[in-house]
Amino acid sequence: MLPAAPRLSFSSGTLLLEHAPAAAVRKAFGDLPWVWDRRANAWRIDALEYAAVRERLAKSRLVCHDTVAQWQAVDWPQDNLQKLRPEQLAAVAAWNETRRAAIVMPTGTGKTEVALAIMRQMAVATLVVSPVRDLMYQWQRRILERLGYDAGVIGDNVFCVRPVSVTTYDSACIHMERLGDRFGLIVFDECHHLPGAIRRDAARMSAAPWRLGLTATPERSDGRHVDLAALVGPTAYEMPISAARGTTLADYEVIRIPIHLSPEEQARYDALSRQVRSYLIERRKTEPRYSWADLCGESGKDPAARRALRAYHAKQAVEDRAEEKLRVLEDLFRLHAGSPTIVFAGSNAMARDVSRRFLIPCLLNHCGKRERAEVLSGLETGVYPALAANQVLDEGVDLPAVKVAIVIGGTASTKQAKQRLGRILRKSGHARATLYEIVCADTNEERRSRRRRESDAYQGTRHRRI
Amino acid sequence: MLTRELAIAEYKGGRVLPDRLGRTQHAGYLAYAERMLAIYRNGAGRTRRELHRGVQAVFADEHDCPMRRIGAFCKLLDDASRFDRDTRGRAAELRREVFRRAAAFHPLVAKADRLFEHEEARVKAEIAAERGTTWEEIDRHLFADVIEFHRLKTFEGFADGAALLARYNVAQTQAALFDAVEMTVWAAEDFKTILRYAKLARLMHSIRRAGDGRYVLRFDGPASVLRETRRYGAAMARFLPALVACRGWRMHAVLRMPNRAWQNRLQLTSEDGLRSHLPPPEEFDSNVEQTFAERWGGEPRDGWTLAREAEVLHRGQHIFIPDFVFQHADGRRMLLEIVGFWTPEYIEAKLKTLALFEGEPILLAVAESLTKSENGSAPVAWPDGTVFFKTALKIKDILERLGVEF
Repeated sequence: MLPAAPRLSFSSGTLLLEHAPAAAVRKAFGDLPWVWDRRANAWRIDALEYAAVRERLAKSRLVCHDTVAQWQAVDWPQDNLQKLRPEQLAAVAAWNETRRAAIVMPTGTGKTEVALAIMRQMAVATLVVSPVRDLMYQWQRRILERLGYDAGVIGDNVFCVRPVSVTTYDSACIHMERLGDRFGLIVFDECHHLPGAIRRDAARMSAAPWRLGLTATPERSDGRHVDLAALVGPTAYEMPISAARGTTLADYEVIRIPIHLSPEEQARYDALSRQVRSYLIERRKTEPRYSWADLCGESGKDPAARRALRAYHAKQAVEDRAEEKLRVLEDLFRLHAGSPTIVFAGSNAMARDVSRRFLIPCLLNHCGKRERAEVLSGLETGVYPALAANQVLDEGVDLPAVKVAIVIGGTASTKQAKQRLGRILRKSGHARATLYEIVCADTNEERRSRRRRESDAYQGTRHRRI
Repeated sequence: MLTRELAIAEYKGGRVLPDRLGRTQHAGYLAYAERMLAIYRNGAGRTRRELHRGVQAVFADEHDCPMRRIGAFCKLLDDASRFDRDTRGRAAELRREVFRRAAAFHPLVAKADRLFEHEEARVKAEIAAERGTTWEEIDRHLFADVIEFHRLKTFEGFADGAALLARYNVAQTQAALFDAVEMTVWAAEDFKTILRYAKLARLMHSIRRAGDGRYVLRFDGPASVLRETRRYGAAMARFLPALVACRGWRMHAVLRMPNRAWQNRLQLTSEDGLRSHLPPPEEFDSNVEQTFAERWGGEPRDGWTLAREAEVLHRGQHIFIPDFVFQHADGRRMLLEIVGFWTPEYIEAKLKTLALFEGEPILLAVAESLTKSENGSAPVAWPDGTVFFKTALKIKDILERLGVEF
């Protein structure tokens, strides 16, 4: 029997090269990290390397039957793309230099239009990966609107794969080992999420030669953003947020409103604080190095430690759900009656509190696709005066009408601050946008707020007592 | 299965010891388990949050109970429950109506004044009156689709408290495996079940025979050869209950802790007292096999000894475990595969497998009913030397072939 011909195929998020002698592999691919897999009697490499593999094969004399690319060309039914602005055109041109690159643009400057223009141009099976389900559906709507294509959905308990599909990072990293050969172009929206330890498999297990990353905030606090270059490509174009301010974006101001706990809440807060502190002091009498981590570790063995831990969580809940926040919220609703408003809560429970107090919709994880769409379009068309949300809305969901955002709790990261701010800065008319931040004075929440404002977007914060 | 957040384990000198409730050390837990079961059995109509608070209360005075253990029990109990998840979207529909109606009155103020006259309490009462109900009733249903407010419909898990504790112990071991990067199983029997379930869990295997006749089965996933990855840890966890149901094995898993430089190991054997909720593997695939093995008996015939599923043939990721192995005193060996009453697809796959292991001494025994072509389909080309049987496979026929084949 003749020796079988070398064969290159996609296999569970990797590439397999069968029937290829080691010498030939070394000669053809040189630097590429092929690994011999005894379990499969074949060479194996990350699907991520497919573009490089193909390039080397084209130059080499190794004749190889390549079955990897299962993607097809796509005919867009329509072309309703807007005319791109000069900086958007510059972004597309920069991407085209390598066709594997990231584009950094602030929220509200038309990243999506740039991506759609690139998709139109490439006209190949495309997967768009976004961080949350809302954004996934938003991409689906935009693709339908602009290119007339009804994209498949992978995620949110739907598994409908079409040549052009939308998905979330979590679904992508789970399913890419089966889908990695179906898309020629992959778009990573808010691509700073990609370099997570497991999530990066969404990029690694895809064979897509063409890759586009989009983000407003490429930095990660863990420093892993440097890996984006390998997973997507280098940053080809960057537009700083300050350049966008006042021109493309509406102007904005940030107003911080300190509130105080009610006497009962303050009493409860203090009692809980004392409980936690006195437990720690008591323990440190005998163990001077007794730490918070020790307490958490011991909460299983020791009911007292468990009670201290519960007290700590209860204390956080007090500040998160402080009643005065609802009172200030009423005042802000009065002040901005007639302006569509978004309230960002620090927890689902608080978002529901707001929803039940003011009878405005809240967007939480349990909301189905239809309800989300109904609520978001309802806010835009004025059916709803306001809505409450938790982190579900943290990233660029389009809300063109919103001019007032109120943050009543949340974590300290600057990224979240930028994203929240970015959302109310959509280009629409000349009205100024306002971001309110309601924080409890003299608590941890105030410290978080201070850290949040270190982000440059928050410069110019005003304090106001109501 | 549990989630990573509910995993409890101790680390001792590189060994991972998943949380384990023992009969002596945790004597009180059997009673707790029964109480938890009672909460769920009598809990129809209560919300998940109420049920979970009930479970928490069971452990209020227990010194030895981490929060995660309570959470783990809740998860296992929930997994065995059916909740009213409001799949028809009644809560969403109610919210839509209420919020749309209230929109005209925005903002609802605590106290009316000349500028804003819509008082929260009055608007709520009016909306409720329009719907012919009270606000309390609306409030109760407004977020009925939120997970913690789902109401229990039926609970059909766990025969008794001991079964719940057994499942807990397996579940904690499973959870430890989420960090696993590879798993090795030394098996003396039940290879077929072990390999089949590993394949179902989408694991890849490497097979090696140890000197003592046992098999060393190493499991990981496709990308494991490129880098150490925890990607397949969940698959190993899914596979574990099937392994626990088998006999005569020892397992060693290498675990990589997130953001740590060192590895840990998890070790387990079939004698460690874990109890699977899955039944032990069936001894025989069919009656034909069982009858044949029983008739043959434990003694050698013409120098041939019979062993059931004692050899694993493997090439790459293809495996074939013939039903019986005949071992002769003089060192000769013969494999027997029985093909009973199956579908054309099954037979086609079987013939492909046989072709893959061409060169191995495999004897086929085929039910005569399969040799008749049905619906005009082409007759199957069975290999030369195949033994045919009507209802029971005759020992005489097999011995005859065993004599001829060499």
